[in-house]
Amino acid sequence: MKVRRLRLSAVSFLNTRPITYGIERGLVGQGRFDIQFDFPSRCAAAVESGEVDLGLMPIASYATAGEELRIVPGIAIASRGPVRTVLLLGEVPWEEMETIVLDEASRTSQVLVRLLSRERGVLPRYEPAEHDRIPQLVGGRRGGLLIGDLCFSASEHFAHVYDLGAEWTERVGLPSVNAAWIGRPDALAPGDVALLQESLALGLDHREEIARTWAEENRIEAEVCVRYLTQNIHYELGASELCGAAAFIERGYAAGLFGAKPALRFYAREARPRPPMVRAPRSLDGLLSDAAAGGRLSFDEGVRLHESASLYDLGRAADARRKSLHPHGVVTYIIDRNVNYTDACTTACQFCNFHRPPGDSRVHTLTCDELAVKLQETVDLGGIQVLLQGGINPELGLDYFEDLFRFMKANFPLAIHGLSPEEIRQLAERENLPIPAVLERLVAAGLDSVPGGGAEILDDEIRRRISPRKCSVAIWLEVMRQAHRIGLRTTATMVFGFGEQAAHLVGHLDKLRALQDETAGFTAFICWSFQAEGTKLPLRGDTSATRYLRNLALARLYLDNFPNVQVSWVTMGPAIGQVGLRFGGNDFGSAMIEENVVAQAGAVFKLSAAEIEGYVRRAGFTPRRRNMRYEWL
Amino acid sequence: MSLAAIASKVGAGEPLSLADGLALFQHPNLVEVGALANQVRERLHGSRTYFNRNLHINPTNVCVSACKLCSFSRRSAHDAGAFVLGIDEAVGKLRARLAAGDRVTEVHIVGGLHDGLPFAYFTGLLLALKAVAPGIAIKAFSAVEIFFFHRLYGMSIEEVLRRLQSAGLDSLPGGGAEILSPRVRKAICPNKCEADEWLEVHRTAHRLGMKSNCTMLFGTVETLAERAEHLLRLRDLQAETGGFLAFIPLPFHPENNALGDKRVPTAAESLRTLAVARLLLDNVPHIKAYWVSLGLATAQTGLWFGADDFDGTVSEEKIYHQAGAQTPQALAPGEIARIIRAAGRIPVERDTFYGLASPVAGEEAV
Repeated sequence: MKVRRLRLSAVSFLNTRPITYGIERGLVGQGRFDIQFDFPSRCAAAVESGEVDLGLMPIASYATAGEELRIVPGIAIASRGPVRTVLLLGEVPWEEMETIVLDEASRTSQVLVRLLSRERGVLPRYEPAEHDRIPQLVGGRRGGLLIGDLCFSASEHFAHVYDLGAEWTERVGLPSVNAAWIGRPDALAPGDVALLQESLALGLDHREEIARTWAEENRIEAEVCVRYLTQNIHYELGASELCGAAAFIERGYAAGLFGAKPALRFYAREARPRPPMVRAPRSLDGLLSDAAAGGRLSFDEGVRLHESASLYDLGRAADARRKSLHPHGVVTYIIDRNVNYTDACTTACQFCNFHRPPGDSRVHTLTCDELAVKLQETVDLGGIQVLLQGGINPELGLDYFEDLFRFMKANFPLAIHGLSPEEIRQLAERENLPIPAVLERLVAAGLDSVPGGGAEILDDEIRRRISPRKCSVAIWLEVMRQAHRIGLRTTATMVFGFGEQAAHLVGHLDKLRALQDETAGFTAFICWSFQAEGTKLPLRGDTSATRYLRNLALARLYLDNFPNVQVSWVTMGPAIGQVGLRFGGNDFGSAMIEENVVAQAGAVFKLSAAEIEGYVRRAGFTPRRRNMRYEWL
Repeated sequence: MSLAAIASKVGAGEPLSLADGLALFQHPNLVEVGALANQVRERLHGSRTYFNRNLHINPTNVCVSACKLCSFSRRSAHDAGAFVLGIDEAVGKLRARLAAGDRVTEVHIVGGLHDGLPFAYFTGLLLALKAVAPGIAIKAFSAVEIFFFHRLYGMSIEEVLRRLQSAGLDSLPGGGAEILSPRVRKAICPNKCEADEWLEVHRTAHRLGMKSNCTMLFGTVETLAERAEHLLRLRDLQAETGGFLAFIPLPFHPENNALGDKRVPTAAESLRTLAVARLLLDNVPHIKAYWVSLGLATAQTGLWFGADDFDGTVSEEKIYHQAGAQTPQALAPGEIARIIRAAGRIPVERDTFYGLASPVAGEEAV
């Protein structure tokens, strides 16, 4: 059977050319693609009308599409600071603009300028205008939104120039995502995603060539174009970008600019087995400095660092890596409440101090009234989220959680970060439903994100020893994979101190990194040492604070695709938390209102938001509140 | 003063200034300060971490000094909970440890300033302990107690020390230094000896051939500058006598005392204090992370922030526990060695004078 050619609409600006490089030149998928170039607004219309199968569509159009669409994983047009080609121009400052003319070529940027104006307390009139005419229309108290290559020449002619990419990131702490490959769910055939990614990979390698050719053809300064493609525009749709896009949709929805807030859903990514990394052996110093610069460590190199690098060398490299990912010196934290809805649990893990067997007369499952009190307290204390976890109580079915989530969402403005993979797996088994179906129903009822608990050490041999009834490594990862596919963000954890070897720890990190390559759905990594029960001496050979700092630093270096690493003051104490901020951590976790599970095993640290801010400041950082997306609030 | 400038002084082995000390206390990046201290620590001691087998004896908690910082003392012998340990009882504690097969190498004795005991009680205590274990080292009586004896019994400081020395005293502990500043002492311990008097006791002890330790109580009312000045006063005396073996920073614990509204210094402050002390006190051989006061996890981490000594097995610590310390009252030697190893350091059992108490096979001690 002859496969129909895939019709693509791509943006006609310079910034798309690395994405289309391989396709345009026939280097990938020969004969598979037909490509046309349009303004962003036209790309969206072409997808919506069915004129093309896939468009480099503005994120704003994804939000307003009114039908279910899918995003190609891994590819975006985004910025992590100044974007250079989304500008608000004016003869007067933003605050004094009475009218802003909006570039008709844009979609996302129109929403961006409206959102950012509101943030500044500015409410101008908006008037659409043709792309080419924007520079002429700006004058007096009329500002203009301009996108695309015209920005290169236009910006120097105005007294006030605002780069909306920079404005967004400074405010939100996340990248600005302008566009991605988007189409209908059935638009792609197997292999297409890989071809699109290959086209970009080739383009990334030829950015300088693309920029210079473009500069010559369009009479723009070559260096400006090179800088633009190599520094301003980022092409990765990674975990931070997904959070940035989700924050954009959420804010647009809250401002009434979108009628819905669709989750970010993706075409399946065919697992492309990466060739095993074969490298000439590097010195320990070389390994550390490469990893500090964001280079990828192989499994063997991770083990070597774990075994041989000194504490401070690991710490310095991790600190450098943290600094390049979070250059603003901000350390985030969240105000949330940990609610354990039931202490009944069938898994009876050896390291747990919290559970009771189902049927035990002391079992307690929270009632709605009890929960309501806790939730109201949470709201009153400035909390924005509930971390909802329990034991595995076979008496609680999917309908219990659907009712619970609906009750919570109907009555409290709190995000639900709930149900670890083990709990979701148990629900799937109990209800005899596939995992994605369970997740879909939970999301429909109000689930916002999934905590990464229960990972312990992702090694089946160790799991059989310490938590034989908990899910296997494969299932833990599969629940996370499915959650990411339907647009849920999740975290990932690691608990060490079970007598594991370096290979187990690095293996754990390696599995998380591989899944993150596939889905980009993890927002953060958190590790802590096993909290031994009731003993006077919780120090085992491998749970010391120095071991914690080493593991934290190694994780920051190994997990090159994880945007955030939390320190765990709840288990390690606030001082080690502070020290951890120099060993790779960039987040101080949560001002926890309640933590039953760890408290039962002896960790009793409790901090208010003010105390957390004090610790963060004294460690030399600026504290900022965040939500689960790591969006600054 | 930038950290780089300080680092280059440290690299060249130059002594640091008061301004350097203050800069180190204030530098936002604790870990860089720790790394610098760790460099000095490893230059002096490699990865070795010392500990000993010791026994704490508090002869009395009756104390006329009534310091606001203290949770241990009773004003009068008639107050509830007041005690004076009989010499037999004290000796009994040592005998019990020895009989249990514990090779204790040091007895650490500090107590309250009791104005109703004869001097002979103290010399008798020393003689009795030495009679039971002639080889044991006795580290006893802080400078505050020595100075009190000098006043109470009308003897010169030198005379007090000579008589105690001939009864068996081997060295002085470092307590009672608090902060060597008249302003701070007036606020927290107005009846204790003055800063100069504290220094004079140690100077005299050193001249008589005794070694001693020195301490700093931090986290009450002192400023960072006063902490740095304190360390430099210790360094000056050390330059004169060379008699200090170890410096021990003591975070203030606020329970059961009259300064109770203060918070415990954070572990981060303790780590920093260890590190700054290691850097400023370039002529003091050892920095001790006293686990009883710091807490085990912080003390353990401190082994990377300048400390090379974990203190000892310490059975029956009372003073810090009265003030709310949550640490155990004793640790077995194997437990200490394990904690030190878990921190990635090499445990070495020492005697009071940092000689090896047990032979070390290569770098794998104990």
